[in-house]
Amino acid sequence: MRTRISEFDRLFGSMDLLRNRMNRLFADFDRLYGGDLQGMWREDYPPTNLYDFGDRLEIRAMVPGLNREDLNVKIQGNYLEINGTRKSDAPEGYEAHRIERPTATFSRSFTLPCEVDADRVEAHLKNGMLTLVMPKPEAAKPKQIAIS
Amino acid sequence: MNDTKDVVERKEELQERRPDVPVVTPAVDIYENDDEILLYADMPGVEKDGINVNIDNGRLTLSGTRRMEASGAANWEEFGGVEYRRVFSVPQTIDMDKVNAELKDGVLRLHLPKSEAAKPKQIEIKIA
Repeated sequence: MRTRISEFDRLFGSMDLLRNRMNRLFADFDRLYGGDLQGMWREDYPPTNLYDFGDRLEIRAMVPGLNREDLNVKIQGNYLEINGTRKSDAPEGYEAHRIERPTATFSRSFTLPCEVDADRVEAHLKNGMLTLVMPKPEAAKPKQIAIS
Repeated sequence: MNDTKDVVERKEELQERRPDVPVVTPAVDIYENDDEILLYADMPGVEKDGINVNIDNGRLTLSGTRRMEASGAANWEEFGGVEYRRVFSVPQTIDMDKVNAELKDGVLRLHLPKSEAAKPKQIEIKIA
């Protein structure tokens, strides 16, 4: 007795489903989990990105809910320190149903890939994102070498 | 009679539409008093025009997309472009026309005022 073709269809159909689920599993694994990543209970808060533009270094840090007074940035040579406190902005007279946004003090230090000119560093804070532009001193800038 | 049928069918019409940035849930604080409900959501790096607040049939959808600017060589990257998205059920007692929001320091502050009928009222007891 010939097995009906539809039986095979069902078999492969479920295998397809399994394969799709497995594929998504691996994709999800690589995905940034914002909930975890933003948590202040990590040792290295705030999350930062460091970019090298050749003539300067730029570091961007995610610091939602902070203003200038809450942050403290120190630079010396190739050592950078970012400290701050996030205070609660709970409004007066309201009952809190759910609090997920943390309020804590943080401190994080970095060893930059090269020395920077501390006198010419600029810092901007916008939309909860801190950007530090750190120009490199002349000696640290990459130079084009001409081949004779 | 040549009735060949593909045993393995490729379902190409059911493409999964993936968003271009990963979707993540933002941390949110919820406060309430007699006049309104407040929702504070952390959305750092999101510009005002990247935010979308939608209330439909008792469902509030908050979404904000952060796009990374083109940059130089990255030594390390601990965060990237992301879509913050979260859905809430809101009670029917919210006055839809008066809902307002502000974005400051990467925090979205949403005000959901309660309609007059929903506000608690003090009932006066008269001695007859």
